[in-house]
Amino acid sequence: MYLKKIKNYIQKLKEILLLNSLNNFLTILLISTILILSIQSFNWVIFNSKWSVVTANVPLFAFGTFPEEQRWRPIIWIVSLFLISFLSIIPPKWKWLRKNLLIAWIGTIPLGIFLLYGGLGLQTVMSRNFGGLTLTILLTVFSSIFALPIGIALAFCRQSSLFVVKKLSSIYIDSMRAVPLIAVLFFGQLLIPLFLPLGVEIDRVWRAIFAFTLFVSAYIAEDIRGGLQAIPNTQIESARSLGLNQFQIIRFILIPQSLRIALPALTNQAIGLFQNTSLMSILGLVELLGVGRSILANPKFIGQYIEVYIWLASVYWLICTIMALIAKYVEKRLKIA
Amino acid sequence: MKSYKGIIFQILIFLFFICLFGLLINNLIINLIRTDLGFNFSWLLKPASFALAEHALPYSPSDSYAWALFIGWLNSLKVIFTSLFLSTILGIIIGLSRTSKNIILNILSSFYITIIRQTPLLLQLMFWYFVGFLGLNNNFIYFTNIFKINNKGIEFLGLSLTSEYSALIFGLSVFTSAFIGEVIRGGIVSVSKGQWESFRSLGLSESNGLIKVIIPQALPAIIPGLTSQYLNLAKNSTLAIAIGYSDIYAINDTIINQTGRAIECFIILLLSFLILNLLITNLMETINKLINRKRIYIN
Repeated sequence: MYLKKIKNYIQKLKEILLLNSLNNFLTILLISTILILSIQSFNWVIFNSKWSVVTANVPLFAFGTFPEEQRWRPIIWIVSLFLISFLSIIPPKWKWLRKNLLIAWIGTIPLGIFLLYGGLGLQTVMSRNFGGLTLTILLTVFSSIFALPIGIALAFCRQSSLFVVKKLSSIYIDSMRAVPLIAVLFFGQLLIPLFLPLGVEIDRVWRAIFAFTLFVSAYIAEDIRGGLQAIPNTQIESARSLGLNQFQIIRFILIPQSLRIALPALTNQAIGLFQNTSLMSILGLVELLGVGRSILANPKFIGQYIEVYIWLASVYWLICTIMALIAKYVEKRLKIA
Repeated sequence: MKSYKGIIFQILIFLFFICLFGLLINNLIINLIRTDLGFNFSWLLKPASFALAEHALPYSPSDSYAWALFIGWLNSLKVIFTSLFLSTILGIIIGLSRTSKNIILNILSSFYITIIRQTPLLLQLMFWYFVGFLGLNNNFIYFTNIFKINNKGIEFLGLSLTSEYSALIFGLSVFTSAFIGEVIRGGIVSVSKGQWESFRSLGLSESNGLIKVIIPQALPAIIPGLTSQYLNLAKNSTLAIAIGYSDIYAINDTIINQTGRAIECFIILLLSFLILNLLITNLMETINKLINRKRIYIN
């Protein structure tokens, strides 16, 4: 009796296996690989890793060499950034606040400059003391706030009916997109001083922001152009028949819609920019990855690559994933609206 | 009347940019005279006097800067085309697993994609180099002299790859494959479901149908995305400098440190990328044409 049942069972199992043998083989192979890998990594995390390299250096990862008693300043700035982004994602009921969000975003730039560089009553801090996540966020936020309007302007210029405007902007966009980012950053760090008149000097951090803005605005322009092309011509015609002038059409019809269409692409640009700020660690700024590199060069922590890299990767991963999730949420909300 | 305004406006903009450029170039000339460098390319023929670990053609430190730059360009090409090949294969595997019905494959591939896409390439390259290759012991994988992987790189049938080169190829291919996987998934998803049902009802096997029915139709949607990923790969290969591989950018950097000729080197770098981009876009256009020709033939 029992034997027959078991035989039946095996027969059925065989049928399933034979029906889809390749798939099942793959499943078993994958499961066993995952098991072995997870046991090994679990073993490593518990017994062999030394996380002191991370825990001892958390302030360094967060602020770089920003003076210890002044660290509340970058914290305030970053918290204010969080608040503003929160308000932008979940708009408040008060209309005046909603209307002034754009101004608030632009306001983060002078606020950041004031809080980080100091002056006007605050102790001045040199930009070579900026570092860690603070510098990464600074580079990302400043460059994206500068690059967005420039990108929008470039996208409109590329669609313009004026020949010179069109050609100049397409030359700019195409050449920027053909060049590797590190070359542009290199240009920012080493060549910009050569193009400036004698005696005029720009801070390293600002030169990096300038280079990132140059680079990213070309990519943003192409994304916005994609959005502009997706808007049907009838909309412009109907806006004209309503008596809107060119500026009003751009302001009320074209920009909002193209931004909405280009939102996924723009998020990818923002995530890419956040990741690409790590390139500055090759060019002498000590941002998040740069801190990791300098810690690994310290004889006290020599050879602890895996811990530092896993820590950095998880920080980058977490922030990028949050950005992507927020973008998805906003996209959903805009589609409903 | 309106066209007059337009023309005047354009002339003004043109003049503005000419003036701006003139000002910048003027500053540049003043600065170059001040630093006593000037602007010429005659230094290209002087001996480079730095050694290169990686050279496809014979090279010695007594060779000229121009030759060193050419070697660097070849090194870049070597990395780009190997990783282009590898990342395409990996990307196809990832893309197909993303669309497969096997749940575990599906979860694993999306896991792979989020980890790879949400961390910086530079960090990944450093990981592959410092942990992936330099962290290995002397005989990590040793298979009777035919196939060796250790901290000096990969050795396979007399073909030996340095650890820098191997790490770079690994990093670039893995990074690009996550993006290519998404492109391929997008292409496959863009083919209508009716096509899947019809090849099944015709009695074609799943894999046969995929190769003969789905992929040919997905290709026109895949090729443009693939081209931009390949261009990104070429641009990303300049990160080689972070792990000490002497590609075109790294050699330009060394030369600038030695001679201080930043402007000239920058122009050379831009030109080499122009050529690289043209090469890749032309290659992809040829492939695109081939595919389109075949499509017409099938019809």
